Amino acid sequence: MNFDDLKNEWNAEEAETNISADMLKIKQAHTPIDIIRKKMKHEFFYQVFFLAIMAFLPTVTAFSATTKMAYLACFAITCGFTAYYFFKFYKFYKNSYDMSMDSRKSILWFYYEMKLNIELYKALTYIVAFISVTFGAIYILVEQTSYIPKILANLSPVYILLNCFISILIIGAITELWAWYYYGKYLKRVKKVVDELDYE
Amino acid sequence: MKETENIFLSMINQHKAIIHKIAKMYMNNTDDQQDLFQEIVMQLWKAYPTFKGNSKFSTWMYRVALNTALVYFKKDNRKVDKTPLNENIDINESELKEEKLSYLYKAVQELNAVEKALIFLFLENQSHREIAENLGISEVNARVKLNRTKEKLQLIVKKNGYEF
Repeated sequence: MNFDDLKNEWNAEEAETNISADMLKIKQAHTPIDIIRKKMKHEFFYQVFFLAIMAFLPTVTAFSATTKMAYLACFAITCGFTAYYFFKFYKFYKNSYDMSMDSRKSILWFYYEMKLNIELYKALTYIVAFISVTFGAIYILVEQTSYIPKILANLSPVYILLNCFISILIIGAITELWAWYYYGKYLKRVKKVVDELDYE
Repeated sequence: MKETENIFLSMINQHKAIIHKIAKMYMNNTDDQQDLFQEIVMQLWKAYPTFKGNSKFSTWMYRVALNTALVYFKKDNRKVDKTPLNENIDINESELKEEKLSYLYKAVQELNAVEKALIFLFLENQSHREIAENLGISEVNARVKLNRTKEKLQLIVKKNGYEF
């Protein structure tokens, strides 16, 4: 195999396809990076939709004035955290199109930034879950005063604590699995390329 | 916007052979090659606002195109072409040049993504230093990796009963 001969033939090879403006509009998603970007976009729309639904909840429920205030406070805090998270995500999303650094830097930058964003995403899920539980507790204590204390009186503190602990574990497991299913497996493919570059 | 698009199209068409070759190096059937070609064009267009002109357009293009190909994966439902190297290619004296390249493109399918990048940059007449700069590895590592990849490629070609 003569590489010099091959080089001459390689250099003489021409491309037949002409690149037209139409090709700039074709939507493809075949790189893990692109798929992650697409999922980030979807995630944003789901979150906005979820928050919009949540905003109207007090109008269709019979909350007392105290519960309504607590709900609005929880909703505002959720919106604040979500906005912060998506602002970070958006900055990363925009910067991810610059792939003009060397391969290792480009891919490694994407890998670690994405990992960081996944951790932020998990943190946001925990925060929202915590806010939801807090609101649930307020709702039970304020609105369900007639029978909840009776139910709680019949349960042992160990049972209640165990339930809380298991609930936290389930939320944690779901968050981890969701992050892996949604982003993690694509990130693994990106890491594989970095490992191949680093392998000596 | 239209003017930017036209400038971009004119520049990219001057260097389209780069994308064409990368697509053929990284994908082994025409449909996948076409998909990768389009993917690279689209990535270049989306990344174009980040091109500040500090380097040559072709240098910038090499990097974006290669980085896209490195993390690209083919559609899962598409079959992998497992035709042996010594089949499915017409042995015709007048088409000897195309034949050699066809064998090369088939042989490189057995290399991993980084090895393909090394061979691509080598065939593009890039020095060890340039290869190292493009891939973000040390010059020594680039030389070692390239030599190993060339040997591996020789073996693949030999194993499949074709020598050139």
